[in-house]
Amino acid sequence: MEWSKQIVRYVLVMMLQVLLFDQLQLFGVCHPYIYILCLLMMPITLSHSADMLIGAGVGLVMDVFCNSLGIHMASCILLMFIRPYLLGAIVSDKDRLNEQICLRALGIEALIKYVVILVVIHHLTVFMLAAWSWAHIGFVLMETLVSGLITSAIIIGYNAMIYK
Amino acid sequence: MQNLLKILLRYSNFLVFIALEVAAFLLLYYNNAYPRSSLLSTANDVVAWQNEQISDIRSYFHLRSINAQLARENAELRNRICSMDSTKHEAPIHYASAKVVQMTTDQLHNSLTINLGSLDGVMRGQGVRNEEGVVGIVRTVGRNYSVVLPIINTHTNLSCRFAKNDYLGTLQWDGKDYRFAQLADVSSHMVVNPGDTIVTSGLSPVFPEGIPVGIVESSVLKEGESYYRIQVRLHTHFKRLKYVEVVQNAHQAELEELVDGME
Repeated sequence: MEWSKQIVRYVLVMMLQVLLFDQLQLFGVCHPYIYILCLLMMPITLSHSADMLIGAGVGLVMDVFCNSLGIHMASCILLMFIRPYLLGAIVSDKDRLNEQICLRALGIEALIKYVVILVVIHHLTVFMLAAWSWAHIGFVLMETLVSGLITSAIIIGYNAMIYK
Repeated sequence: MQNLLKILLRYSNFLVFIALEVAAFLLLYYNNAYPRSSLLSTANDVVAWQNEQISDIRSYFHLRSINAQLARENAELRNRICSMDSTKHEAPIHYASAKVVQMTTDQLHNSLTINLGSLDGVMRGQGVRNEEGVVGIVRTVGRNYSVVLPIINTHTNLSCRFAKNDYLGTLQWDGKDYRFAQLADVSSHMVVNPGDTIVTSGLSPVFPEGIPVGIVESSVLKEGESYYRIQVRLHTHFKRLKYVEVVQNAHQAELEELVDGME
């Protein structure tokens, strides 16, 4: 997999995130973080530690745009930490993971599982860290549900369009 | 020692994970506890510039709400002017800002709907204007919405006068062009020039005196007729009507009761 392609996609997705999705203010609970699309679809050819470092970098850049230093970074590191274990659990045919993680490699059922689980973990972490108290747990869960659904739908939809 | 190294290698991924998370939480903690680094925040020049561009673009999408706000402010200011110069013989008038939610301009019986209703104190017969001039008269009042008959409705009559000499006439609409209405009942001895200003007469409680209506476009006096046919170019642009104000005259009910009692 050409990494230049991955980087171009990262830049485009990041622009979409900052220019469009960060501007959405629907009902106060809709904050889809679609930038994790790049992290989710990154091939797992690198070592686990390198993956987590990339996650930390991607999260840090997002934090700069959100004025939330550390929050996205922590969430993305967690995401990249869990990723290979989750893939191991839901994908039986390991040979198919040598290319990038996409619909063609996983099949629709595994892809949905993979995307939804990781998106929910990431979003829940972000919103919990941002709330920083159990007092808003209802709101945080609502936020996670709405935003997570939208992010998952966008990532799965992207896969369905590009990697039929 | 070798065992320790083995363990470290075995769990190296987990250790990297812990180390990175600790770094992230340190950032989070220090960012909350101390003034944030301007480089790693939206005060960063690149990010700030980007945000400024976005807010510039966004302000276009927010023009509508800004407009609504200005309309409210206008109504509020007009209220204040009214309360300032209202003398004893003038009824207290309140202006309520409303948004046009529906409007037709291409029918004989045009109508428009505004987003104020009985809950907002709107009553049948109240006048509706905007900052350009007269719009129409409230016809049907619901709880939250009201239907207004604009002056471009063949059923509407509005008492007007010439600004220059207070001569009275009745504004009607022939159903042809939403930009022009017709002024009737102006007798032939009057001198009518194109460009004469027409304002509301203030004779009915619907509108206070002097709200702009339009400008005389042309006047025709046919042989043997004692009344002019006057085309009036309306000030109000009905095609792009967005925000209006309902004229709420506190004495309107009383006045109408008196008139009804006479009939």
